[in-house]
Amino acid sequence: MDPKITEVSQTFERFKAAFVRNDFDTCTRLLSQLKVLLTAFTSLPPLFQETSNAIHELTIARDIYEHAVVLSVKMEDQDAFERDFFQLKPYYTDACGRLPASPQEYPILGLNLLRLLVQNRIAEFHTELELLSQSALDNPCIKHAVELEQSFMEGAYHRVLSARQTVPDATYAYFMDLLAKTVRDEIAGCSEKAYDRLSTSDARQILLFSSDKELLQYVEKFFFLSKLSDQKCCAGASRVGDEGRVYHLPESKRFRPLQGNTVPSAHHSNTQLRKGVGANRLRRYATHLLL
Amino acid sequence: MTQDVEMADQALPSKSLSSPDPSVLPHLKEIASLIETGAYAREVRRISRAVRLTMVLRKKLKASSLGAFLNYVLVPGSDVHSRLSSFLPKEDEHDMEVDSAPSGTPAPVKHPLPELEIYCYLLVLIFLIDQKKYDEAKACSSASIARLKTVNRRTVDVLASRLYFYYSLCYELTGDLAEIRGNLLALHRIATLRRDELGQETLLNLLLRNYLHYNLYDQAEKLRSKAPHFEAHSNQQAIFHTIPFCRYLFYLGKIRTIQLEYTDAKESLLQAARKAPQAALGFRVQCNKWAIIVRLLLGEIPERTVFMQKGMEKALRPYFELTNAVRIGDLELFRNVAEKFSSTFGSDRTNNLIVRLRHNVIRTGLRNISISYSRISLTDVAKKLRLDSPNPVADAESIVSKAIRDGAIDATLDHANGWMVSKETGDIYSTNEPQIAFNSRIAFCLNMHNEAVRALRFPPNSHKEKESAEKRRERQQQEQELAQHIAEEDDDDF
Repeated sequence: MDPKITEVSQTFERFKAAFVRNDFDTCTRLLSQLKVLLTAFTSLPPLFQETSNAIHELTIARDIYEHAVVLSVKMEDQDAFERDFFQLKPYYTDACGRLPASPQEYPILGLNLLRLLVQNRIAEFHTELELLSQSALDNPCIKHAVELEQSFMEGAYHRVLSARQTVPDATYAYFMDLLAKTVRDEIAGCSEKAYDRLSTSDARQILLFSSDKELLQYVEKFFFLSKLSDQKCCAGASRVGDEGRVYHLPESKRFRPLQGNTVPSAHHSNTQLRKGVGANRLRRYATHLLL
Repeated sequence: MTQDVEMADQALPSKSLSSPDPSVLPHLKEIASLIETGAYAREVRRISRAVRLTMVLRKKLKASSLGAFLNYVLVPGSDVHSRLSSFLPKEDEHDMEVDSAPSGTPAPVKHPLPELEIYCYLLVLIFLIDQKKYDEAKACSSASIARLKTVNRRTVDVLASRLYFYYSLCYELTGDLAEIRGNLLALHRIATLRRDELGQETLLNLLLRNYLHYNLYDQAEKLRSKAPHFEAHSNQQAIFHTIPFCRYLFYLGKIRTIQLEYTDAKESLLQAARKAPQAALGFRVQCNKWAIIVRLLLGEIPERTVFMQKGMEKALRPYFELTNAVRIGDLELFRNVAEKFSSTFGSDRTNNLIVRLRHNVIRTGLRNISISYSRISLTDVAKKLRLDSPNPVADAESIVSKAIRDGAIDATLDHANGWMVSKETGDIYSTNEPQIAFNSRIAFCLNMHNEAVRALRFPPNSHKEKESAEKRRERQQQEQELAQHIAEEDDDDF
């Protein structure tokens, strides 16, 4: 056997051992070694030269990159995932006629779809989707991602979150957690516009928090985030009143005087607050309440 | 498809009576002399005319007359001659001898012009494709492409662009489009370096077609955005430019649809459908199908007249029913239609787009509900939308809240009571809406005016020779021929 292949497979064995132990430092070190070693094979993309042990080289290279992708998920490194996935892709698309299909192919393609969804790169998501055949679309891993996208677009967020329980593969959990965060932000954004008022307990339920404390923390964060961005956002920002209600102020009510005892009346005896002043005061007051 | 039928009709007589059609050879000779004068005078116009005349003869081509023509134009025994005649079926040997006897003696040109040589390649290639001898056609086209790379003359460009087209076509017919991708890219580069605009346009289209054939939208978009643009020619009157441009617009529309840029996609697709010649029915149907879906995705409902266009009613029927389902906002009906026509949508490769439409169906349904009711409980909303999920009320609530956020409906939610309250629509004239609508219309008119002014520019030297009555007739005729031509080409694509 070619000494180069032997070296690669030996290193790969060590890599796999470290991979099982979740020893990420060793893994990354060995992986970069492996990638350098792979460059010596001329049968790999983009050259695709017909050498005597081309099939063997292609198979081992594909296996290495598949592991690299899964490793990047374990290490929660999205950039590495993207890089490794693009290196892996030619093995699925251009070498499919020469290699037997990999059992990992669909789970990894599904993972990539999920990543694009999490990163909100919907156009790329659909571009990738077009490349898949009908049989691929029926695969549970791919189907999972496709259905998620649909529910996400529709706004059926509960379906997205409940999909967390039915992940087809353990590696999906990381992206599903990220997705849950995205979904929560989406829900918050939607409820801000949709509700005039919402009690704290309902808000907790809608935003899927287990305790009021978490909710308050989130509202605080959400509030500060809106403060950092432009004026429009802060107009719809949430405010926690003393009677334990979260008020969502739609844009139309932006500069109207606030009812009830939530804001000291001395601050705005006149009915109309001026734009900058109103927003600033509101923000200061809400911060005060939260702290 | 239509072409297949035509060819089946014509395959029979060609076998039964193998004697050369007396009318074809003189015509071919005429074309040859046309190319010759065109090449000497460097007049591309004449060569384009020769190509057009060939298309008229296409159906009458026979192996015997072709053989005779090769003998007439090329030096018998030369490399090219032997290579090309080897592609022609042997059974007509006898006829060829008869014909070659008179034409062999004068020996018209010792070194044939490259234009004529390329033309012979084109003729043989078309003949082979029409006879469905795809393997020979592939060999012939590859040989011609190899020869083309060594010729750098602007008068060859027209012939070359046709050759590229048939080169790609015969590989597409055998299903090996991926093989020639590298070659097409190389040719595109050569054409760009030689400033061969027609070649660039043709090759870019072929490449886009090649990528889209395999659904490689990413690569297609990358190539398109980096290749030299030919929107610049969009106003050129020459029909030779508008046809590639139509195709380009169609591919562009498809790419943009996939990448969710619906507004731009709609513009390109509608423009492609409008600019395509009347005769190119297959192409226009395809454009319309995509345009309908894009408009639905945008939340528009195409008018009924779109579906009633002449010759398209049948092909657009599935899309009509689909539109109906979206218009009513009935998920159940939508699902049924999608299922019923799934094979049609599958072959049009619009299945994934139709999946995207589900969301629009819900939106329309929701909008109808919000208009009809001033207050409605979320349970009823879920029932009316026919959401089939384990937790319909929660789903309905989040769907409604998203629709509110996206501005699809004007309403508020009351969580405590579990209902949706529609806001009363105020006077629209008190908002900015009329202003925005007015602005977009003015912009459209101004744009149209500018385009028209730009289109008034004339091609160089046109002021010197006034268009005579005869020329106009000729031009109109060629436009018609071309339109027919593109129609045929498109029929075998779709």
